[in-house]
This record gives sequence, structure tokens and C-alpha cells, in this order.
Amino acid sequence: MQKHAEKWTKKHILDIASLSREEIEIVLSLATSFKEISERDVKKVPALRGKTIVNLFFENSTRTRTSFELAAKRISADVVNFSSSSSSLTKGETIVDTIKTLEAYHPDIMVIRINSSAALYCLKKFTQASIVNAGDGKHEHPTQALLDMFTVKEIKTTLEGLNVLIVGDILHSRVARSNIFGFQKFGSSVTVCAPPTLLPFNYGQSGAILTSDLDQVLPKADVIIMLRIQKERQGGLFLPTIREYVRDFAMTEERFSKLKKDCLILHPGPINWDVEIVSSLKHKVHPRILQQAENGLAVRMATLYLVGTKQK
Amino acid sequence: MKESKRILTAEDIKRVLSRLTHQIIERNPDPQELMLIGIQTRGVYLAERIQQLIQEIEKVPVSLGVLDITLYRDDLTTIGPKPVVRETKIAEDINNKVVILIDDVLFTGRTVRAALDEIMDFGRPKRVELLVLIDRGHRELPIRADFVGKNIPTSKQEIVEVKLMEADKIDEVMVTIQDHSQD
Amino acid sequence: MQAKTRTLIKNITIVNPKESLLADILIEGDTIKQVSKNIQEKADIVIEGEGKHAFPGFVDLHVHLRIPGREDEEDIRSGSAAAVKGGFSDICCMPNTEPAIDNEGLVSWIIEEGKKVNLLDVHPIAAITKDRKGCELTEFGALKAAGCCALSDDGSSVADSLLFRRALEYATMHQMLIISHCEDSRLAANGSMRESYVSSKYGIGAIADISESLAVFRDIEIAKFVKARIHLAHISSFKSLEIIRNAKAQGVKVTAETCPHYFALTVEDVEASEFDANFKVNPPLGEKEDLLAVCRALKDGTIDCISTDHAPHSCSEKELPFENVPFGFIGLELSFSLSYTFLVKTKILTLNQLVEKMSYRPAEIIGLKNRGMIKKGFIANIVVADLNKKWQVTKESIVSKSKNTPFLGRTLTGLIETNISKGRQVYSL
Repeated sequence: MQKHAEKWTKKHILDIASLSREEIEIVLSLATSFKEISERDVKKVPALRGKTIVNLFFENSTRTRTSFELAAKRISADVVNFSSSSSSLTKGETIVDTIKTLEAYHPDIMVIRINSSAALYCLKKFTQASIVNAGDGKHEHPTQALLDMFTVKEIKTTLEGLNVLIVGDILHSRVARSNIFGFQKFGSSVTVCAPPTLLPFNYGQSGAILTSDLDQVLPKADVIIMLRIQKERQGGLFLPTIREYVRDFAMTEERFSKLKKDCLILHPGPINWDVEIVSSLKHKVHPRILQQAENGLAVRMATLYLVGTKQK
Repeated sequence: MKESKRILTAEDIKRVLSRLTHQIIERNPDPQELMLIGIQTRGVYLAERIQQLIQEIEKVPVSLGVLDITLYRDDLTTIGPKPVVRETKIAEDINNKVVILIDDVLFTGRTVRAALDEIMDFGRPKRVELLVLIDRGHRELPIRADFVGKNIPTSKQEIVEVKLMEADKIDEVMVTIQDHSQD
Repeated sequence: MQAKTRTLIKNITIVNPKESLLADILIEGDTIKQVSKNIQEKADIVIEGEGKHAFPGFVDLHVHLRIPGREDEEDIRSGSAAAVKGGFSDICCMPNTEPAIDNEGLVSWIIEEGKKVNLLDVHPIAAITKDRKGCELTEFGALKAAGCCALSDDGSSVADSLLFRRALEYATMHQMLIISHCEDSRLAANGSMRESYVSSKYGIGAIADISESLAVFRDIEIAKFVKARIHLAHISSFKSLEIIRNAKAQGVKVTAETCPHYFALTVEDVEASEFDANFKVNPPLGEKEDLLAVCRALKDGTIDCISTDHAPHSCSEKELPFENVPFGFIGLELSFSLSYTFLVKTKILTLNQLVEKMSYRPAEIIGLKNRGMIKKGFIANIVVADLNKKWQVTKESIVSKSKNTPFLGRTLTGLIETNISKGRQVYSL
């Protein structure tokens, strides 16, 4: 599998949908090597020395930004953080103007988070840098899916033939969209479970199985990804109340008891305890979720390394 | 057209490794101070064999580390395609150890430079010594080996290929001459 | 009195709504004097038409000229120039401007401005409600007297069904046409593209097709109830067309238009463009099923005419990501070539049917007299085109102030070479 690293040709990482299974395997395999670096005393290798990475966050995200920043630093790239609160966006400058301004500093990689779906296909036209998608609107969050797959592979030793269940606000979730494509590329079956108001239109074409009956699909799951539910979804259009959501979709003690023994529960974080997962299960599921954060760092080091080393 | 010549046979390699092992022991009377570090990938197999040999002679465990120098290469951001990043594993404390850095072929010296930089990031060894199976010349950096299996004067066009059972199902060292009139 | 200019077009294939013929056309002043073979009369200008086609000047019921307010995007001069290049002799401009065209002063001002540029006739459409807010009716009678050709709150529907009923009722008194932008804005949910698998895959805010068809149904029901005429703008979906076809069969006085992008592009093209902002339009591009339904409806007459929904936007507005840009793109310069390429070359429509959709019917719908045919006594609005010529759409080729179109880079067939408006040559290649 490692030999495949030589076949990486992508300039950007914008989505999982257009990555091949082989390309995902390259990232996961590299991430294994990179994970070891974080266990060293000197947690730094000179791989991207002299390269400049701009973390461009048009939407707040301390966790993802920190993960990318640390990943960049551990492979010796110079990192600058640019977030919309400290930016000139408030002064009427457009997103594109910002990219063009930053382009003048000749960055090698731009890590971008933005609240507009599919925006990076547009923004890539304005920079020579490689772009890594750190979440674009409701579209994709590829590094999150890669770290989910990495974690699953680490624990389950394979990504093939699994029953992956994604529960929650699928409609607004970029994490779901990335994972649905990612896991299916390895021949795993993906089921998405949400109230019909939070399932995307005509989504059967994605290959995922759509359902609103959590209790029916729970017992078969090898992996469950619980999505964060935004509190503002309640009241009106999507959910009557969070209470009602908890009733039908939360991981309760009772539902937990019906899971396969080795069922792995993941959550992209931050968790609303007692909404997605009851807090009495904290000691059972939290360690795995923290493992995800550690793996996120390795996966992001791998992606930055792949797009940051020059191709001829 | 290619012309290959066998420089070392399996038997030769065995003898060479035995000699190198004795040289290491001779120079380092306390084997517990030693740490063998093999450079991925064939340096690792050589290190494992030498570890075995030392332990057979001295009857004490000798520590072993594995080093992948890819991320320390000086040409990483200019070469393509991307080199594979393999495992690095230095489980034990490297401080005050005598590190025997082990690789199959010493050529330009750039790999060794990268390996030294990486080792320093793991700590401050007492001393680092370099062991190579083949020294083929053409150094580009001021680096020399402390233990050499065999010196083979080569031209830059020649390819030195070390094959080991662990990866190649045979022990031998070949030198291949590229015939440029056919290129 | 100065003698009237006489123009003679020789040996040209004349395309009228019902038939084509090879003949000469003699124009005197602003009128067609004679259409027959081998005209021997003297003329000031002679155009050799051999191998070319003559069409009655096109009429566009749906143009955004952006005046007043956004003259940086288009103005009366650039808009008129783009229109005559596209073969139009009459264009109707929508009132969703800043401020909205909701009073007689603005209506007559636009007519005056159009006359100053003097390339073609610009017919303002006035707002149905004051400031297009959907609350109070405008003064239909005064607006008509000032010269507005129809009423519309284009850009949004009149959401209040009672108010819309009153508007339709009141308009009948003045024999005025209401043009409805059919959209249930709540269902449209601030979306950016048609709700489809593509929108779901990319998580892009989406507009369900029923947001159009529901409004179509409501508007038709109200028009039927009050026995008013109604014209439905930019129809894009299969479901809407089923409703319109059914209404027409029942004798409801409904007419409908579509735009070239609805028979040329689908959501698949939006995805293939990697969400190029130039593909964002409202109503959004539909599925293949919708495209086929639009073609079928053009053929069977469910759709009466082709308009452009010419919607210029500044470059800086359109360089932003897909969800952040405004709707719409330009169309005046491309409409004929697109229609010829996607409808006539593909044998969906004949050339005669195309003339009906682009000249005769739209003129009839807004009540323009003596237009839409090349016939003795009709106004001399004539377009000469070479149907064998191919041309590529480039930013440089566009004369409109804005260059936003999803057809950039496409090669189209059918090139307009000359546009004669009221007997005057207003454009030539």
C-alpha cells in the first residue's frame, strides 16, 4: 500500500467525492507515519521547511484551525492565521479580494474554511497555492472524513465491508457528505438516519441508505458517527424541540445496550452531551472521540505534506 | 543494454557482517551502551542481523531503532514523485547512547546527513558511528563511514543494488552498468 | 420634406411565422413597401441577401436594463447596443430597479432615454405594487398613459394572493397585461440552485421546482377566476408547463415565456462548471426532464415566446462563490444564436416557429401593432442573418457592459449581420 504514495497528483484537497480509493489510502498510510512524530520529544520534522501555509478561516472554528496550525508547525511550515473577525472583510472587502491580497505573499498552501458551499471551486481560480478544504458550507469537510476513516481503520483494522451509520443533521452536515463518499469507496455500506426534514432531497443517488428509524438500524452498525445538532434547528422548520430529537435520535443507555459489542461510536465534536449522546455514556464513548482529535493532527500533517511537496 | 555483475554473494555478506560485528564490539566494549539504528528499508534488515550477531556473542540485549529519513531529505520539495514515508521507531532513550547508524550503501552522503539531523531531534547520543555494507564513493558531503563492508569504486552511471532475503528473497550485491549507447 | 430613405434587400430568404419565401424586400422610410421577387425600384441602400435569411425584428418581453440605479452594470446605451446586435427591434425593461419603476415619471423618462439612444424601441414595464413591496397597487391608468407596456413585480411574486387578485381585476379595466414572476419565495428558501441530487451532493441551498409551479397554479387560478389575461415569465419546469398546458386547454387567457438557458442547460452543467457563478439564475436551471418539457412546450405552443431575462451583473459581483452571487446573466446578444443552435438545428422548431416565438407572438402579447412579420405595410424591423456562420462567445465579443454568461467559450451557429429598425440600419457586423 505504501508504494502508492508516489501516485499522488492532486494539487488541492477540495472534497472526498473526487478522491479515488487509492488516494485516500495514500493519506491514511502517510498519516500512520506522521502519527509517530507527535509521540517524539521533538515533535517536528523539516519536511515543509520554508513553505508558507495560510490558515484562512472565514468562519469560526478553534478546533479545526488549531489542528491545522499544529499540523503545519510539526512539519516545519510557516503558518499565518487569518480569520474573518480580525480581517478586513468587515470593511467591505470581498472574500476574493482577501484571497488576492494573501496571494501577493506567495503562500504554498491555503487552508480555507468558509460558510459558502462549494466555494473553493471558485476561490482556487484566484491563487497559485494548493487549497485544502477545512469545511466549505454544507458541502464537505474532507480532513474530518479522512480522520474518521483513519480512526475506524486503526480500531477495526479495515474499512471494507463495514456497516457505517451516520445519525443526525445530514442536511446541513459537511462531515456527513464527506464520510458518505469516503466509506463507500472502500465497499462499506453507509446508512444515514435523520428526521425527513434533515435528510437531503433525492439523496438516494449518493448510494447511502436513508432512514428515520434509528432503532431499526442500530443493531447492525459497526461504526456510528453521531453528528452535532445545532440548537438553532429546533423550533419551526426542522425540529419541534431538541427534546423531541433526543427522543428519536439520541444515543441513550437503552440504545447503547442494543449495539454490537464492538460497535465504534465517533463524533466530530464538539458534543452536546445529553443531546446527541447521553452524558452517562461519557466514559464509554469519550476516549474514542478524543482519539479522533489526535488522529486529526496526523491526517492533516499527511494532507499538508502531500499537497505541499512539489510535483513535477 | 544492461550488464550486471555480482559483487557479493550470500556467503560473502554473511562473512562481512560477522567481521563488522566484531569490529563494533572491539570498539565498544559495553554493548548495553549501544543502539543500532537502521535506515529504512535495507539498513533496517542489516541492523536486525547485526543485533542478532552481537546478542549471540555478548549474551545481552542490544537496542534497535528504525529510521525513515524521507521528511528530512534536502530535496523533498523539489523532487517528484513523492517518496514514501515509512515507519520511524526509536522506542528507547537515545541520550548518552553510542548510536551505530546502519545503511546498505554509502553514496553522496545526503541520506546520512538527513539521518544525523533526525537522530539529533530524538536526543543527544554520546557518539554516532556509521556502518555501511557498501561504500561506492562519490561523496557530496564531508561524511565517512566508521565500518565499511566493502569499498566498491564505481562510476556515477553504475547502479549498486543490495538485495536482502527480507525484501528480495536473496542475499547478494549487484553492480549494473548502463550502456549509454543504447539509451 | 426630405425624401424617405429607400432600402432594397435582394434575393433573401424571408422567414415569417407561417411561411418562408425567397424574394426582395423594399423599405421606404420606416415601413415595408413591397415584398416580392425581382423588385426593380431604385433604392438608396441595396443589401445583397443571397444565401442569407431575413427575420422580422425580435421582441424581448424580459430585459433588465438596470436603469435607474445600476448604470455600472448596464445602461440604456449599452443595453440598446447589445439588443440590436442580438437582432431585437423592441425590448421591454423590467421595473426591479433602484428606485423601482412604479410611477409615470420614470416610465416616460425611460421612453425618452430610449429615444435619445435611438437604436430600437424600449418599452418600460411598470411595477404592480409600489416600490415592488407587494403591499399597495401602483396607478395602472397613469402608468399606461405614460406609455408602460405591461405590469410586473419581476424579481418576486406578489405573495399576497388577495392583492394579486385585485391587481389582475384592476388591470382588466385598462386592458393591461400583468406579467407574473412565479415563485413561492418561502419554498425557494433562499436557495441558489434547483433542488436536485446535485444540490444535495454539494450541500448547496436549493430551490424546489414546486416553488415555481405552485405560483404558476395560483396565478392561473386567480386569472381564471377574475377572467383576466396573465403572462407568466421565465417558465423553467416540467410541472409548471403541465399546469399551463392544462389551463390553455380550458381556455384560460394565459401566455408563457421561457428563456434560452432553460432549453440549453441543466443542473448537470452547473456541476460541470464547478459552480461557476455565471450559471446561477432564477428560476434555477432544471433537470433533463425539465429541459425536454420546455422543448416540447415550445413545439406544441404551451410556451408562446422566448425572452432573454437579460440580467447584467458587475464582474466583482459575479467572481464570488456560487452561493454568494446574485442571480442572472446576460442574454440579448445570444438569444437568437442559442435558439437557432438548440432548437432549429436540432429540429425541435422550424425557422418559422422560431420567428413566431421571437417576433410575432411577443409583439402580439404586449400589443405592438404591425410587427412580427415581414409584410407590406408592416414596420420595417428586419434582421439579416447568416445561418451557416459559427461564432464563439467571448468576453471581447460582448457589447453589453456586463460579461456574465454561462455560454462563454461556446461556439454557436447563426450570426446576425444586419439589424434594420424602423427602416434604419442600426447594426451591421
